[in-house]
Amino acid sequence: MVVAKKNIETKERPQKTQKPTIKFEGVCKIYKGNFPALEDINLTICEGEFVSVVGHSGSGKSTLLKLIYAEELPTGGEVYFNESLLNQISKRNLPFHRRNIGTIFQDFKLLPKKNVFENVAYALEVAGILDEEINENVPQILDIVGLGDKIHKYPHQLSGGEQQRVVIARALVHAPTLIIADEPTGNLDPKSSLEIVDLLMKINDLGTTVILASHDKDIVDKVNRRVLVLNNGKVVADQIKGKYKSV
Amino acid sequence: MFLTISRTFKEALKNFTRNGWLSIATVSILTMSLFVVSVFFVVTLAVDDVLQNVQERVNISIYFKPDVTIEKINSVKADLEKFNEVRMVSYVSKEQALEDFKKNNANETVILQSLEEIGDNPLLASLAVKANSADQYQLIAEYISKSDFNSDVSRMNYGKNKDIIDKLNGIIAMIRKIGIGLGLLFTIISLLVTFNAIRITIYTHKNEVEIMRLVGASNSFIRLPFVFEGVIYGILSSVLSMIFLFIAIKAINIYIPSVTLVSNLMNIYSGNFWSLLGGQILLGSLLGIIGSLIAMRKYLKV
Repeated sequence: MVVAKKNIETKERPQKTQKPTIKFEGVCKIYKGNFPALEDINLTICEGEFVSVVGHSGSGKSTLLKLIYAEELPTGGEVYFNESLLNQISKRNLPFHRRNIGTIFQDFKLLPKKNVFENVAYALEVAGILDEEINENVPQILDIVGLGDKIHKYPHQLSGGEQQRVVIARALVHAPTLIIADEPTGNLDPKSSLEIVDLLMKINDLGTTVILASHDKDIVDKVNRRVLVLNNGKVVADQIKGKYKSV
Repeated sequence: MFLTISRTFKEALKNFTRNGWLSIATVSILTMSLFVVSVFFVVTLAVDDVLQNVQERVNISIYFKPDVTIEKINSVKADLEKFNEVRMVSYVSKEQALEDFKKNNANETVILQSLEEIGDNPLLASLAVKANSADQYQLIAEYISKSDFNSDVSRMNYGKNKDIIDKLNGIIAMIRKIGIGLGLLFTIISLLVTFNAIRITIYTHKNEVEIMRLVGASNSFIRLPFVFEGVIYGILSSVLSMIFLFIAIKAINIYIPSVTLVSNLMNIYSGNFWSLLGGQILLGSLLGIIGSLIAMRKYLKV
């Protein structure tokens, strides 16, 4: 087992570029009246990386991700996204920050009253993209995730795997620099899970940074890329080409 | 900006149609509230109408002794017309009085026969004095009884009318008080119910708001559809309420004989149609907007 070190990010690893997408400096997070969810986290994730974050429930995986899409703000330390500090992000700028990130969740988070097309289009509508562009891009992206024929279905008419593909399409459609997937396969059968992971890897091959939180050993082993192990709010291992590790 | 508004408006329309039952429930409650409010509005107008009608009909008649000349009466008329409190003085000659009397008693053959037997015209010439408001009659009556032409006056019928005037004033004041009290009470209750219904509607969108925020929707982009939805509720409910009001008035009108003091309710309705409709749309939309904004605060973390 590799023991946590202060300057893990200086370790050599195969990077497509050196530009850091995310940087944590001495970050800790304490929820009101609770024990620390994260303690002294130092880490850098560079553009084009695929990072799997593993750990038990309550190890701080979700909190780590929430700090990146600024759903939570750190109690101490600094979080940088593309070299800008997220600590004091204003209410005004928060939506713009979110448009740089595609998020994928275990419970899908699709809008139930919107069909597949509208769910994906919504991510573009909020950014003020013109209708012509939306009508062109959305069917394309749905073809890519293999849902070209389900464009007018509503979420409840789809299987779990299909719903997660819609979510991925929505996360991808505005060409974000970063995709965050928090237990994306938690509600899926093994076959669908592997398909989803394949899709994430394809996205990463095209240059998008991907952060995947999971406690599914098969998934992490299949990805076979950088693995970050969290335990009790601390990074206990950071391997360049890692397999799933239980702590 | 225009894109945002048109998009959020379409969004509101979709929300409205896709949340079928919830929309129907909210619109029904809002319609009932607006209906109650507008009913009390119409009742208040009708009561005002009654008051005016009563004042219109009340007057003091001064009957002059038979030997008083028309010149003398005219000078009294001119004298009375100088007062601010006096709105109108009209002269009723003996002949005119007889005509009126015959007309009023056209069916009473006994009275008409006895009148013919007298042969002569037993009625007196009079001045009908109308005041600007009901409580001024007392003053006018006092002035006349103290004036120098009091000796020419045979009698005044103020004393007889006084009771009726006072009673009517009392009744009208009471109706107004009860009406305004009840109206306010019902209005507040129905507004609170509506307000709550709209909040519940928004609460059902709780998860959606969370998702919208995650995808990078600005607060205004999330809020606007709900605001527009509130306006749609307001407009639809107002139109429905106006239709119900029309039906209700139509039904009630059948039971009100046309000769009563209440003038045609339908006239009140059509006379105030636009202010009624406009007021309701304003009230309904405002309720919708405020209700949704307050409910949204919770989820937008503002």
